[in-house]
Amino acid sequence: MPLHKTMNATVNTKKNATIFALKGRLDSNSAPQFERQLTDYLNTPAGHLVFDCNDLDYISSAGLRVILNIAKAYSACPFRFVACALQDHVLEVFEISGFDSFITIEGSVEECLTQLTTP
Amino acid sequence: MMRCSLRIASRLSELKSLADQLDVLAGKWSLPKKCLAEINLILDELVTNIIEHGAAQGEWIDIALVREEQLLTMTISDDGHAFDISNCPTPDTTLPLAERCCGGLGIHLVRKLTDSQHYHRTGGKNIVTLTKTLPKEGS
Repeated sequence: MPLHKTMNATVNTKKNATIFALKGRLDSNSAPQFERQLTDYLNTPAGHLVFDCNDLDYISSAGLRVILNIAKAYSACPFRFVACALQDHVLEVFEISGFDSFITIEGSVEECLTQLTTP
Repeated sequence: MMRCSLRIASRLSELKSLADQLDVLAGKWSLPKKCLAEINLILDELVTNIIEHGAAQGEWIDIALVREEQLLTMTISDDGHAFDISNCPTPDTTLPLAERCCGGLGIHLVRKLTDSQHYHRTGGKNIVTLTKTLPKEGS
């Protein structure tokens, strides 16, 4: 079962949220490019943001750094940032790092969308 | 006893090679997916640390894995600047979001995912030795 060696993020809009479907490995190789892709969301959040982590096979502290920056950007605006469908070991990394205390983690994209209301 | 030695060049693009080599090892040693991900993460954090902070002059990073029953011993050595991971402060992971920063999270993950960590420097090399108890098969 080969793991994906790099990460890509497919962007979709559903209802009132932008959904990033993350696929592959978010490590010190892929984190800088992912952070560049998120520039607009980091600087001027304009709607709810969902990270669908169903196909995210791996995350390291370099990836957590990007997630932390996004969480901070969205804590200071009227919109919300929610993550969902984390694989077991990705969830473990979030928990060890204490990220589950400030990031809402849902089971699926649908669960995210039902709780995101228009501000 | 099972042994495996890996050597990677001291640059971030080698993380892919590390992951590939660990994939092969996980097949040989029948490591569960979560266990493989943890071992990958531990080695990734240390290798990234060496490359970004310690090893400007270093060329290679050597990794040895030795498995005796459920005990895994990992040794990571590099010939870069002296860098003692035991001196890294532990981040407070209970702080509210506004006060959180990322410093030290990588080493924090290494500490939490291993049973012991030891650093020493000898012959111009940094040598980090870690132990980790592997889950019993089927558990």
